Amino acid sequence: MDHAPRHAYITGMNIGTRISTWLHGRVVGRDAIGNVYYEDKHDHGGRRRRWVAYAGEPEASKVPPEWHAWLHYTTDAPLPAQGRRPWQKPHLANATGTPAGYRPPGHDYSGGKRAAATGDYEAWTPGT
Amino acid sequence: MVKVTVDGIEVEVPAGSNVLQACEAAGKEIPRFCYHERLSVAGNCRMCLVEIEKAPPKPFASCAYPVNDGMVVHTDSPMVRKARRGVMEFLLINHPLDCPICDQGGECDLQDQAVAYGTDRSRYEENKRAVKDKNLGPLVKTVMTRCIHCTRCIRFSTEVAGVPELGATARGESMEVGTYVEKALTSELSGNLIDICPVGALTSKPYAFVARPWELKKTDSVDVLDAVGANIRVDARGPEVLRILPRLNEDVNEEWLADKSRFSVDGLKRRRLDSCWVKRDGKLRKASWQEAFEAIAAKLAGLSGDRVGAVAGNLADAESMVALKDLMAALGSANLDCRQDGAALDASCRDFYNFNTSIAGIEEADALLIVGSNPRREAPLINARIRKRVLAGPFPVAGIGPEADLTYGVDWLGNAPAVLASLLDGTHPFAATLKAANKPMIIVGQGALARPDGAAVLAACWKLAAQTGMLGAEWHGFNVLHTAASRVGALDLGFVPGSKGKGLDAMLGGGVDLLWLLGADEFDTARIGAGTFVVYQGHHGDRGAARADVILPGAAYTEKNGTYVNTEGRVQRGQLAVYPPGEAREDWKILRAFSGFIDKPLPYDNLTAIRARLEQANPVFARTNVLPRFGCSDTAGPAGEPTALSGAPFRPFIENYYQTDPISRASPTMAECTETYMPTLRQAAE
Repeated sequence: MDHAPRHAYITGMNIGTRISTWLHGRVVGRDAIGNVYYEDKHDHGGRRRRWVAYAGEPEASKVPPEWHAWLHYTTDAPLPAQGRRPWQKPHLANATGTPAGYRPPGHDYSGGKRAAATGDYEAWTPGT
Repeated sequence: MVKVTVDGIEVEVPAGSNVLQACEAAGKEIPRFCYHERLSVAGNCRMCLVEIEKAPPKPFASCAYPVNDGMVVHTDSPMVRKARRGVMEFLLINHPLDCPICDQGGECDLQDQAVAYGTDRSRYEENKRAVKDKNLGPLVKTVMTRCIHCTRCIRFSTEVAGVPELGATARGESMEVGTYVEKALTSELSGNLIDICPVGALTSKPYAFVARPWELKKTDSVDVLDAVGANIRVDARGPEVLRILPRLNEDVNEEWLADKSRFSVDGLKRRRLDSCWVKRDGKLRKASWQEAFEAIAAKLAGLSGDRVGAVAGNLADAESMVALKDLMAALGSANLDCRQDGAALDASCRDFYNFNTSIAGIEEADALLIVGSNPRREAPLINARIRKRVLAGPFPVAGIGPEADLTYGVDWLGNAPAVLASLLDGTHPFAATLKAANKPMIIVGQGALARPDGAAVLAACWKLAAQTGMLGAEWHGFNVLHTAASRVGALDLGFVPGSKGKGLDAMLGGGVDLLWLLGADEFDTARIGAGTFVVYQGHHGDRGAARADVILPGAAYTEKNGTYVNTEGRVQRGQLAVYPPGEAREDWKILRAFSGFIDKPLPYDNLTAIRARLEQANPVFARTNVLPRFGCSDTAGPAGEPTALSGAPFRPFIENYYQTDPISRASPTMAECTETYMPTLRQAAE
């Protein structure tokens, strides 16, 4: 528990998960935005349970691809962070439904001006 | 009646029917391309082959073979199936496989029947025939390679449209359908060629490559661009109306539709009023509904009722007119008028302004007099009905008015009301023809009524009708042909000056201080007094909006649930196909909202309630779609002195068929038609 950043441990888990993590969890690592990844420290035979304590709001899409693979038992270890290519962008969580979410150009919050489309009508203005 | 057995089902059909009709009566579907119920039989596509027992052992073309008593027909025997498959194979030899880029795709008879009756593979490996496309004007697009030579278009233009301009040249594989010398079709019904063409050879030019039939939302409605009230289907995708097609109604439009009604749709997307405008400092500025209502209420404050007036336009629905009439009554005004053209219509009795014979009734008539009207321009579908009657047998047609080609023979008696007088005193020979007829009829056009002596012409026509036996207990031969879809509804609602009320002429020139125009664009707005505050409620920016002080955006006929009464007095309902653009609202709702704004609320809040109000205003509104035929019970004539006829000749009422209302004036297709068919008018306008 000592390795875990305090905020993820406190804010990212409810009380039951926190107790369970304290009893059974072993920290495996943490990613760039501070999510902490745990694994069951006891061997019950079969595969060990893996879970994540989110930094801040619990949101599944915050998990970056290198940890996603580990979390879902696709790989035994998280993908190494140093193997990143220059064209790889930092992982972003799904922003849909938040103020940062994408809105098409015609949306009122992004200016309300869209390109002309079929189905548009031509409004009358005085003098035409 | 003749007994025929079709696939073991015994049916009785009238003698003289053909085998195809007998099969239809038995509920058997017969594939066909050239056969059409309303056209003559050609029998050249050979798709309708059936097998007949005890006849030569060969397949028979059922559309061209008359029934005999005791005939036994097989429509699904191995021989029939094989024969149809062979015919289909021959048809497809020279038909291009361009369904993916063909506008008929999805509603193509050849596509459907090839699936149902054809083979599943081709054995043809030669080159296909190619035919040069013809230019048939701005409405009909041709891809003549797709033509299967059914000749439906030739028969339609010759028989129904009455313009024998299409024909076939050469024969066999070299046969081509065309206009001999390249020219635009001069018919107002040319759009129907698109409907009757079973393949994609004739398609709509403005609608080319626009949409597929399965993308469209279909809404049944009623046409308002002339007074016939043709039944239409409005095809829309999302917020735009893409095309309008006719709907079957034997009593009104059969299955045809006039070109203006069909091709004006692109006008629904142009010059639209989509927000309120209020004139401030001599300039119209965009405003909210609140500001617009405030501006009108401020003008109304302190204005006495007789200084307020309202004019209903040609495309108005009955709901909005009754709401406007009630609003004016609440304001204490009886200054109402719907007769923008100044026609001397007498609203005191329904018989005086209706097409009483009914459109279908034309087929029963046996003599016709047309006064001051060109039905080909004013109501092409009624003209087609008259032509149908002319083709059916002896039918003397005479006309008083400017000579015109009506597609059938008309005996033009002269262009002066004096001819009417000579018919009245019996000195003219045609008076005897009318008297001798069992069911004579008279059609009085707006051109005869919209003139200073209009009331006298109306009275004279009625008197002539009474004298020549048109007004019987069983037969009503007096007809007024309207050109505005709203007119009969407005007259039914009494949208005419009430007691001490002012008519249109009195309201213009400063007779009122506030003039409410409900889509009224068809009069000279320069006649409105300079000090008159004009409220324009409508859907298109046209003459009325240009003069207005406050503009309230309303809904066009495809955008509201409206009731319309056609020239026969038939009450029909159009349905909302798409929503009005921007801030625009249904017209009666605007009037209801304004009445609430000035604390004089009208007593209806929904469509059911306002339709109940319509029925209360005139019981005819309770009877939708059906039109009971009445004889004439009261032969007392309309007000007007039949002898007070002037010497001025009648003038054509509609100069340009293609642009008669705000919608068609906004339509680029109609502008192109004007350029093609009315070049002189266009030069005069420039």
